[in-house]
Amino acid sequence: MEVVLNKKTKVNVMSEKKRNSLINSILFVFLSVGAIFMIAPLLWMVSTSLKDKQDVFALPPKWIPETIHFNKYIEIWEKGPLLSGIINSLTVAITVTVVGTFTSSLAAFAFAKLRFPGKNKIFLLLLTSMMIPYPVVMIPQFIMFSSIEWTDTLLPLIVPGLFGNIMMIFFLRQYLNSVPDSIIEAAKIDGCSYFQIYYKIILPLIRPAIAAQLILWFMGIWNDYLAPIIYLNSPEKQTLQLVIANFNATYAIQSDYPLIMAASVVALLPMIIVFVIFQKQIIESIAISGIKG
Amino acid sequence: MKWRKKAKVFFTALVFIIATVVAGCSNKESSSDSGGKVELTFMFSGQPQEQTAYKNVVKKFEEKHPNVKVNVVVTTGDQYATKLKAAIAGRKIPDVFYFNPGELRAYVNSNILLDITKYVESSKDVNLNDIWEKGINKYRFDGEKVGQGSIYGLPKDLGPFALGYNKTMFEKTGIPLPDKDKPYTWEEFIEVCKKLTRDTNGDGKLDQWGTGLNATWTLQAFVWSNGADWIDESKTKVTVDDPKFIEALQFFADMQNKYKVTPSIAEAQTLDTYQRWLRGQLGFFPVGPWDLAAFDKQIKFEYDLIPWPAGSTGKPATWVGSLGIGVSSMTKHPKEAVELALYLSADPEGQKALVDQRVQLPNSVKVAKEWAKDPSIKPENKQEFLDIINDYGRSFPTEFTYNGEWYDEFYRNLQPVLDGKMTAEEYVKKAKPKMQKLLDQAIEQEKQASKK
Amino acid sequence: MEEKITQKSSLYRKEKIYAYIFISAPVIGFVIFTLFPALYSLYGAFTDWNGLGQMNFIGLENFKELFKDEYFYKSMYNTIFMMIGIPIGVVLSLLLALALNRGVPGTNVFRVIYYIPVISSIAAISILWQWAYNGDYGLVNQFLSVFGIKGPNWLQNVHTVKPALIIMAVWKGLGYTMLLYLAALQSVPKTFYEAAKLDGANAFQTFWYITLPMVKPVTFFIVVTSIIGGAQIFTEINVMTPTGGPEFSSASVVWYIWQKAFGNFQLGYASAMAVVLGIFIFIVTYIQFKLNERSTFDMD
Repeated sequence: MEVVLNKKTKVNVMSEKKRNSLINSILFVFLSVGAIFMIAPLLWMVSTSLKDKQDVFALPPKWIPETIHFNKYIEIWEKGPLLSGIINSLTVAITVTVVGTFTSSLAAFAFAKLRFPGKNKIFLLLLTSMMIPYPVVMIPQFIMFSSIEWTDTLLPLIVPGLFGNIMMIFFLRQYLNSVPDSIIEAAKIDGCSYFQIYYKIILPLIRPAIAAQLILWFMGIWNDYLAPIIYLNSPEKQTLQLVIANFNATYAIQSDYPLIMAASVVALLPMIIVFVIFQKQIIESIAISGIKG
Repeated sequence: MKWRKKAKVFFTALVFIIATVVAGCSNKESSSDSGGKVELTFMFSGQPQEQTAYKNVVKKFEEKHPNVKVNVVVTTGDQYATKLKAAIAGRKIPDVFYFNPGELRAYVNSNILLDITKYVESSKDVNLNDIWEKGINKYRFDGEKVGQGSIYGLPKDLGPFALGYNKTMFEKTGIPLPDKDKPYTWEEFIEVCKKLTRDTNGDGKLDQWGTGLNATWTLQAFVWSNGADWIDESKTKVTVDDPKFIEALQFFADMQNKYKVTPSIAEAQTLDTYQRWLRGQLGFFPVGPWDLAAFDKQIKFEYDLIPWPAGSTGKPATWVGSLGIGVSSMTKHPKEAVELALYLSADPEGQKALVDQRVQLPNSVKVAKEWAKDPSIKPENKQEFLDIINDYGRSFPTEFTYNGEWYDEFYRNLQPVLDGKMTAEEYVKKAKPKMQKLLDQAIEQEKQASKK
Repeated sequence: MEEKITQKSSLYRKEKIYAYIFISAPVIGFVIFTLFPALYSLYGAFTDWNGLGQMNFIGLENFKELFKDEYFYKSMYNTIFMMIGIPIGVVLSLLLALALNRGVPGTNVFRVIYYIPVISSIAAISILWQWAYNGDYGLVNQFLSVFGIKGPNWLQNVHTVKPALIIMAVWKGLGYTMLLYLAALQSVPKTFYEAAKLDGANAFQTFWYITLPMVKPVTFFIVVTSIIGGAQIFTEINVMTPTGGPEFSSASVVWYIWQKAFGNFQLGYASAMAVVLGIFIFIVTYIQFKLNERSTFDMD
């Protein structure tokens, strides 16, 4: 009987392996097809950026241009303040994410682990800020900032972010909820101040979660478009997305799509690089925490 | 050890912030403290060639007025409205700025625009009489009607919307060229279009059409030349249910559905009729002075201008567009600001630069006449542009009202008529009450605004 | 989960003080940059604010007008319609995550590829897709013509403009939700699956009774944030269909708000609309939270 059982199990295991790899192969095909859909528009962007102006409207459209023109990638630096646009975007994004992470994580720590009256109510209140559409606060904020002469500077884009980001606070709070209180109690008994608990224990613990949110936040700022429009006047002060948007409207009439696409590709690259570097962190972070409701 | 690392990050960030704040602050200081100079902000939007041309005008202005510095702010066309409105709401109105004549009433009623009549009339640099009278009148307002009264803006340009035709196509098809003085009747126009709509290479598909018109910009030519309008003389009643209006609208839709002289339904609404014209696939197409630069580069056939086909009135009609240059009522330096506006509008050198860029026709009547006569500048019949300004060109209906919402409503649901799914008559009966309601609201809004 | 602290010890007091300090930054930021502006706009909703300096109190006039405004209802319909993309996206991304979780070769590459649309700027993507949807030479119709289908003029046709926007939105968000699900799947203890197999559960049963409930918290987070975000959709509409679409069929509520505010000098009316939208979002979110509470179970 045992022999028969063993034989049976062995056979089962074998066909299961085979079945697995068969399923995997099918899935691979589906995933690849899907990946093509995902990336097709962007490949088109790159392909267009290398085309001659006339080829852009060719019917039937060509994927690989007959003559590849790299000159657009040189032109974009001259035709608009692309470099300063990148620097401005970086300035805003890095400043906000670094300081804002600090303030957000500190607050998340308090919301998750410390006891104080009104905790949940205050948290819910902060949450409502997510539900207010930007156009609602846009004009009053503008009136506020222009009365203190902050128009045409990067300040209106930076300062509000320094105070923290509710999405990040939300996420970090969830994450911290699954960290046992005992660690903190132990530290308290050891005589740590709350600040030290934050630095020595909490911060290292939530590092992966921070990584995940930081990417998203960085990305949001990098791609922001509405706020820069109304605050930034001088071309030197403009952020990257604005510079690209200006390419679009001005040059669309002249149908210089290759130029616009080239600029868009350049705008895309830093984000892709950042993501590729951080992607492992992001997955791990969510995996370790498991977002518990 | 980890603590130190965190501290480092923290302090780096702190330095960053301080640096940015300081940079931001110092920038502000340097711009407002320039040693006793008058500072003006000039905001506008334009294509790259226009931007270069205007920046040069500004430089010349600064040379002539060494105590004035001009900060130029440029944005793209579609962002401009948002930016301007935000600036106004935030009370940071630029000293000199472009505005849409349709917003004239709103701005004047809310005290945004400065009354520049006395400055303009007493200017030494520029002669008011040389600028197109119709252009200046667009920016006159006496509190009740637009077109008369005090001056609140100067024209950046006048843009008469003429009709062009593909001369080469006519010659190839063997049709007599249109008369540049006598407009077609609508019947004649359809006949010619039918002859032009054909399959030239024998592959069974049409590749050439009489025309392809966009209702937003060309319906006016048909409505007005038939003796109708969207609104009445007093500018308070919507008149789209006038039988002549219905007739014009129906004719317009029929061009596509009944007479079939235009590309198919969906195609007519995209940018493609413009592309098709560029490639020589259309017989007739509108031409504005701003198109000339693009046409120079991209059109390979010969084209010229003719009057629009005339409806029952026997006379052609079309619109003349414009952008205004206005001065903020809150400017600290009205005299200099108006001077700048005058320069931008009428300075001969600046005008010449813009005209050479092929993006507009001259603002000066004298210069325009000579420009029109010059046979070396294409197209040949530029006189048509001037005829439109002097004779049969009109302003958009929205230039006479407080806002354009009532007018937008007309176009919002117009598509079924253009697709032949609804008759013009059915449509205007539905649209008129909605439009009237919006117009009444706009009038009411204006009353409220001018109460202050 | 508020704990009732009966003893006001000095230790507790210290904790309280530190807590308040720690949350001071976001709270201050919220008050200055969100609360005040929102209250200002809220006031504006009861006035005839036109953005040019006039702001007279007119009571509930704006709201009365709003409830009679057919375009408001149309824009609400459009906005809600376009949220169909949310369940589609959730299902697709879960399936993708399941596929990638099996360790298919090239997983890392796939992850990056699927995530690229997420990190692209919305303005650039909108421009790209606007072009892709072009009736004559757009990418989409090119692809369809391979199968002999003549694609419509997507963005100009009343019936296809919303589906077109939905497809784009799903395309853009897929990578992000997939990533969240992937992580959640990886945190499901393998022991659960082994136990299920021993009990003789087939693939579907495993999925339905183990996988799905285990990723519920992620699903919740995604649905809540997607609805909040979807209710505020604006940039895509503004770039791809700047006039609100054929016969107003792609105008979202926020787009309509923008039009009223910046196109027609009616900021008071626009603010009133924003208030109504805000209340709508709040109610929907609140309901979701309540529903979630009822069916949550704790596994620790």
